[in-house]
Amino acid sequence: MHALTGALWGIVAAIGASALLFVGVNRLFDLIVDRWRLFLGLIGALIGAGFFAVLVGNRVLDGSGTTWVIGGAVLFALLAVAPDLVPDPRLRPVVGAVMGTGIGVLVAVAVDAAVRPTVSPRDLIVMVGITVGVYVVISAARGRIRPGGVLVSAALGWVAGAWLLGEVGGGSPTSMALAVLVPFGLLGAALGAGKRRERTRRYDLQRQTRVGAFLGPAMFFVSMGLVVPLIRTIYLSLHDSRGRVWVGLKNYGDVLTNKRSLDLEDWANIFGSRLTYLGAALLVIGLVAGLWLGRRRGRLLEPAASSIGPASVGVFLLMFAMFASLRGTVMNNLWWVIVVTLLSTVLGLAAAVLADRARFESLAKSLIFMPMAISFVGAGIIWRFMYIARPPQKPQTGLFNAIWVGLGTLEPSSTGHLTVIVVLGGVTAAMLGLSIFGTRRRQPDIAIGSALVALPFLWLLYRFLGPGLGGVETGPLGNPIGKPILFVQEGPFNNVWMMVVLIWIQTGFAMVILSAAIKAVPAELLEAARVDGATDGQVFFHVTLPTIVPTISVIVTALIVLVMKVFDIVRVMTNGNFGTQVIANEMWQRAFTEFNLGLGSALAVVLFLSVVPVMGMNIRRMQRNEV
Amino acid sequence: MATTRETTSATGGSVGRVGRLVYGFLRSVPTWVLWLLVLIWTVPTGSLFLNSFRTRDAQRRSGWWASIGEGGWTLDNYIDVLSSSRQTGGLATAVVNSFAIAIPATVIPIAIAAMAAYAFAWIPFKGREWLFVLTVSLLALPNQVALLPLLQLFAGGVHWTVPGSSTVVTLFPDLSLAGSAAAVWLTHTSFALPFAIFLLHNYIASLPAELFEAARIDGADHFTIFWRLVVPLSVPALAAFTIFQFLWTWNDYLVALTMLGANGSAYPATIKIASMAGEFGRLEHLLSAGAFVQAGVPLLVFFALQRFFVRGLLAGSVKS
Repeated sequence: MHALTGALWGIVAAIGASALLFVGVNRLFDLIVDRWRLFLGLIGALIGAGFFAVLVGNRVLDGSGTTWVIGGAVLFALLAVAPDLVPDPRLRPVVGAVMGTGIGVLVAVAVDAAVRPTVSPRDLIVMVGITVGVYVVISAARGRIRPGGVLVSAALGWVAGAWLLGEVGGGSPTSMALAVLVPFGLLGAALGAGKRRERTRRYDLQRQTRVGAFLGPAMFFVSMGLVVPLIRTIYLSLHDSRGRVWVGLKNYGDVLTNKRSLDLEDWANIFGSRLTYLGAALLVIGLVAGLWLGRRRGRLLEPAASSIGPASVGVFLLMFAMFASLRGTVMNNLWWVIVVTLLSTVLGLAAAVLADRARFESLAKSLIFMPMAISFVGAGIIWRFMYIARPPQKPQTGLFNAIWVGLGTLEPSSTGHLTVIVVLGGVTAAMLGLSIFGTRRRQPDIAIGSALVALPFLWLLYRFLGPGLGGVETGPLGNPIGKPILFVQEGPFNNVWMMVVLIWIQTGFAMVILSAAIKAVPAELLEAARVDGATDGQVFFHVTLPTIVPTISVIVTALIVLVMKVFDIVRVMTNGNFGTQVIANEMWQRAFTEFNLGLGSALAVVLFLSVVPVMGMNIRRMQRNEV
Repeated sequence: MATTRETTSATGGSVGRVGRLVYGFLRSVPTWVLWLLVLIWTVPTGSLFLNSFRTRDAQRRSGWWASIGEGGWTLDNYIDVLSSSRQTGGLATAVVNSFAIAIPATVIPIAIAAMAAYAFAWIPFKGREWLFVLTVSLLALPNQVALLPLLQLFAGGVHWTVPGSSTVVTLFPDLSLAGSAAAVWLTHTSFALPFAIFLLHNYIASLPAELFEAARIDGADHFTIFWRLVVPLSVPALAAFTIFQFLWTWNDYLVALTMLGANGSAYPATIKIASMAGEFGRLEHLLSAGAFVQAGVPLLVFFALQRFFVRGLLAGSVKS
């Protein structure tokens, strides 16, 4: 119950404070035109309260903090309003200076003896000279030198000379007075030195401040939460593990030369892998199909299901062969990015096309979309239950291993055994029949497509009847024992099983957006293509697909950015063990469990650099849209 | 018969009986594939859901599919996982914590982003274009980049040692926010703003300009226009972002884990179930119920408000 009330109070306080701040700031700026002096007073009070709060917070002042903050607010309010009350423009700087000096006296008396600075006149003259010089040069270049600006820069120079160059702690009361009275006096004089703001100038001011009121909070959070931390992370990445000693690019060197990050030793395995040959064969089939179809239509390569399908599966398998041999954190990340981005987009596109104008379209789409609402952590847990591998003696409770071990331990010529043969054989026969049918009717998509679907089933049937299919090994007594697949532990394909989780989540995202894009393809275009006698496949590859390419590129970039920083799934399922480490998890472990600030930051910067091209693309896209 | 005739005419000319059958089959393939896909996509969630109602023994004896026949469902797992004793999850507190993080982390960025989006869309000022592009380009910034400095800021403030002396100036005080829910909100607020501004700007900028001119002629200032005109008219976009951000913060693991550190009493449900998953075996039978407690709220929000959610997604990725 305590947690609940605490949480509620926190929520109310946070929301109330944001609302008050927003309304308050806007109401404050509303005063500018008609109630100028009230506005000045309130601004002065805010600045005064803030200034004294900082002093109190740094333990500079003696006495009660609350009194100082309230008193400071009142004093600064008076200081802000007083010059405006004096009609004579020559008197106003004097009034300001007197008031400022008065506040200075109060501060000088109250400042703790321990923080009195020693002041040397030479420091003061040098610093004031520098700041005033800089101000004069800059404002002369812009064509206008204001006396108020000179006074303010002189005050800043004085403060710098007294407090930054002087030695804090050893000063006398006199040097203390010198260090405080002069800048306060100068600031007060500066307040009175400007022209009085007449009504029209106040309108301008109100417009400018309004931009500040509307943008200020957002810019504050963006700079404090993103921009400054980014710079700080880059700074830390060039320093040692405690963030103190400059080490140059050493951390980046560690990331790239470490064998855990990049292990290319087994590159030769690529050429010994069955995946390579299968992938190459499929790629060739796809290219041949594309060339053959293209010759009939008078172009080099024809995009169609029977050419693009095998070719892309082939490329995919080749890539798998490569990533299974080249290991390490960086390679894992690349593998994740490529596989999840491609498969989520392709499956999303497939779901969008299949569901388009189907019965119960919205039901089907919401079910595929649903995983988007589940957290990565929850999804990791959900899939862990699918992947469970229990010891061979115990029943398998994970779906995949239950099927796999079940297949392997089927009694020969039992009902289950026969069923598997009938199903596999039936599908193979049907697909081969369909292929012959397609060849006779000169429908290459049907012929090649069904032949390709038949192939894996034929292979499964062969395995089942011949060498055996499923998880089984021979026990000590010659009896068959189930042999489950350790989906999560067995490398390198445990990476792929985890990618499945993210694909499961992100397919819905791709589907929803692509579905909207497909529905937005002009009906006249589709109609015209159909009237010209195009088949459904041709309409898709020649009309729909080219039209939705911009949307696909948006999805692909969004997914790249998302997958690049994959963290939760890996952390929950393996925590980077068994050769599944990714950059984000490595970064977290270095930075937050080992507190190696340098290495952790360098890994974070690597993540950042990898999305810089995407950021650049986004900026270009936006600028194009703005025009 | 009607469908067969259509088949014949659509493919033009004589197809024959076999042809009709085959084409009819091919025509139904997309539907079959679609529902197969739907089945594959639903099975993981569905199976975990069934498992969450099974006793520990049943979960160890057989897979979830066995329960369809044998039944024997119980709510014990849910009761155990919610109650807070050492043997169980104590997820009830964690759910409260999740709300305590997700609600402010949703409300604060919306208010801030709506104002900024309005300023970017309708208040002309110098440098507006590039400031907007710069802000929105941070959308792609990986959160990991900001975590370490932010944690340092919350844990100790910002101090600057004046070069050449031992004077340390405190630029930002140590508010001892590390380990508190407030640190998580503030972090979420920063991380959410680029996307929120982008989404709301797209919408607010597309409101008709005449509306604003009319209001200005009537003497309304920016605050009035924003409050009386822009906010009510942008409800769809605001709703879309609310759902988005709520789901995102509710489901977040990384930010909470980093900012809360060892303060277990403030952990949201995601961290709780992740640590339950880490304790191999002991709480395994409660894990499915725990996962559903955590996922229950977002799933409810999702199914109830899916239309807004989809609209938000579309507005965020496809410029209309």
